[in-house]
Amino acid sequence: MSRLTGNATPRRETLLRVFLALKEMRRAKVRFGLLTAAVGLLVFLVLFQQSLQNGLLTAFVGGIKNQSAPVVVYSVDGRRNLQGGVIIPALEAQVLAVDGIGRAGRFSQSTFTATAGGVETDAAVVGYEAEGLGSPATLVSGRLPTAPGEAVANEADADQGFDIGEVVTLDPAGFEITVVGLARDVLINVTPTLYVDYGTYEDAVRSRFTEATTLLPNALAVEPAAGVSPEQLVERINAVSDDIDALVRADAADKAPGVASVRQSFSIIFLLYALVVPFVTGLFFLILTFQKANALTLLRAIGAPAKKLVQALLVQVIAVLVGGLLLGIAFYTPVSSQRLGGITLRFETGAVIFWSVLLLSFGVLSSLFSARRVLAIDPVDATTGAGVGR
Amino acid sequence: MRELRRRPGRFVTATVILFLIALLLMFLGGLVDGLINNSTGAVRAQRGDVIVFSSDAKDSFLRSEIPPELRAAVESVEGVTDVGGIGIIQLGARVPGKGPRDLADTALFGYELAPRGVPETPPALGEAYADESLEAKGVEEGMEILLGPFRTPVTIVGFVEDTNYLGQSSLWASPETWRKVAGENRSVGALADGVFQSLVVAGDGSASELAQRIDAATAGATSSLSIAEAADSIPGVREQRGTFGQIIGVTVVIAVVVVALFFALLTIERTGLYGVLKAVGAGTATLFFGVLLQAVIVTVAACVAAGALSFLLDIVIPAGAIPFQFGPPRFVLSTVLLLVASTIGCAFSLRRVLKIDPARAIGGSL
Repeated sequence: MSRLTGNATPRRETLLRVFLALKEMRRAKVRFGLLTAAVGLLVFLVLFQQSLQNGLLTAFVGGIKNQSAPVVVYSVDGRRNLQGGVIIPALEAQVLAVDGIGRAGRFSQSTFTATAGGVETDAAVVGYEAEGLGSPATLVSGRLPTAPGEAVANEADADQGFDIGEVVTLDPAGFEITVVGLARDVLINVTPTLYVDYGTYEDAVRSRFTEATTLLPNALAVEPAAGVSPEQLVERINAVSDDIDALVRADAADKAPGVASVRQSFSIIFLLYALVVPFVTGLFFLILTFQKANALTLLRAIGAPAKKLVQALLVQVIAVLVGGLLLGIAFYTPVSSQRLGGITLRFETGAVIFWSVLLLSFGVLSSLFSARRVLAIDPVDATTGAGVGR
Repeated sequence: MRELRRRPGRFVTATVILFLIALLLMFLGGLVDGLINNSTGAVRAQRGDVIVFSSDAKDSFLRSEIPPELRAAVESVEGVTDVGGIGIIQLGARVPGKGPRDLADTALFGYELAPRGVPETPPALGEAYADESLEAKGVEEGMEILLGPFRTPVTIVGFVEDTNYLGQSSLWASPETWRKVAGENRSVGALADGVFQSLVVAGDGSASELAQRIDAATAGATSSLSIAEAADSIPGVREQRGTFGQIIGVTVVIAVVVVALFFALLTIERTGLYGVLKAVGAGTATLFFGVLLQAVIVTVAACVAAGALSFLLDIVIPAGAIPFQFGPPRFVLSTVLLLVASTIGCAFSLRRVLKIDPARAIGGSL
């Protein structure tokens, strides 16, 4: 393009190419606007669904992921669902006899209809025996329970009647639990969750099932002895009986029912969206290159190097993609701080960076088809009427 | 049509993009159908008009308790013709021939009023009809499976379809079998004799009127819902439907933008041609109809390809991997949505077609 611009310096040349590319975009606002809007909507959907996936998983198993016991022992019949399992006394005795256990405690959950903040709601009550054995590990304010009838609640539920100092009443007997602390991301099954000491848990369950005599624990929370890793302890515990299902904390969360299928489903959705963006961008610039065939051929004929025409094309591609990304992030930012039912959405900085880089790369790659067309232009075709569109 | 036949390559990329968008719509729709059907089958299969929960249960089977005196109050409500108790317990099932840790997720129902596909008379003690999803877990007719940590034996006497509950395969048994299994396997204790978790009620008039009469007669001790409302009240169903609905909606908007973009570009490219056609007498409506027809054909082709792949996915995805269910209604709905999106997208080109001046096309500048 230097021959077109006289004695322009390289810096001025670059600016001129950018200027020309952007000028074309300004003159065809609707076309480039629609493309930017399409990319922006796609980016928004991808980011929103990323937040939705993470929020959904956290709301289902955050309470397991963010509890303090390094090892959780279920019965195989519990299907890795805390409330669904029962550890019968014989099984409990077998687990406690395993070599390598430092501390162990009962770990149970029961779901109640409750009244919080004057509103009837569901509440999951989780009982644990000691700090470090199922207590919430992400306390953000207040303290852990130190007396009967006290609980730690999920931070995001504070404005739903679960704030520090508020009293939650469990139906049908009116059993009262006072919130004394808040922890981050400790929901179980998308239900407001209260972490209480084990005595309070048993009292709460008995207030509902008045004839219950023996309450069997749903699971056991275990801490390895010094020198024993959680993985080693899991192996030893599982070797004791086929009826036991011991898992390290991360596995207890990741292998909970439904987690894998949620991940797989979202992966397919993400893959499809990730394919649509480069296809839309690639198609747009390919058609545009066809439409500009005559002008591009003429530019080549009067001395514009193909490389510089490709650079101008890339300027437009990047401008559209960056515009789309900014638009998508602008839509996503306010939505990412919302609550969908019991699911708390968060602005996922990592996802924003990952998807921005990925979509930008895919988008630029997709424009290479157009670039190839531009590079293939023969200036001689200006004299014959043929060009890129042949 | 002729342009499509002569230059199909021009439309391939747009068709591929629309195919991806159609696949997205159908996959999202199949997911939401799979998730919801897998959760609500047992409720949708009920042949009564109303399901009655205790008022403190927040419309949950698991927390509801209907004692005999409350049932009597419901039975005495004017217009009630049939009342059947229903109870449920969710347990892992050990299937012969499977590994000791490879349990099937089941929900055992004790019923008095038979749901769709289940015989009127409940099976004998220790027997149950199973949802056909259990066949994928190796369960066969006549097989004895062991339920729960206490391994209560239950013999399968037949199969029913589309009756899953909360993603678990249902088993349909007599109330006595349910009480036995629950009594042996609950961590807290079984419900007393005569107590059910809910009631299925059939009666005269609309479901909402019947529900109102029942709740009024029990002085608010019950919460009665129509079958559809009871299905919607299952945890997560409303949220799944709402969230996926919004995602599908935005995806349709993207389809509108993509179609608009593609045909706007095509129209710009063909401005000269349209000018000449107008100059020789072709009307704007004819030209726009041509663009619309192309959009419809491209969309239908994309939807057929995406639909075929979705039906294939429905067949090949193993049971229990992804809750994906794709059927003709979802295919038709997705196709109609995309056709509407294409038509709207095409309408953006109409303005350009209208603006084309035939005089300029044939070189005149007067």
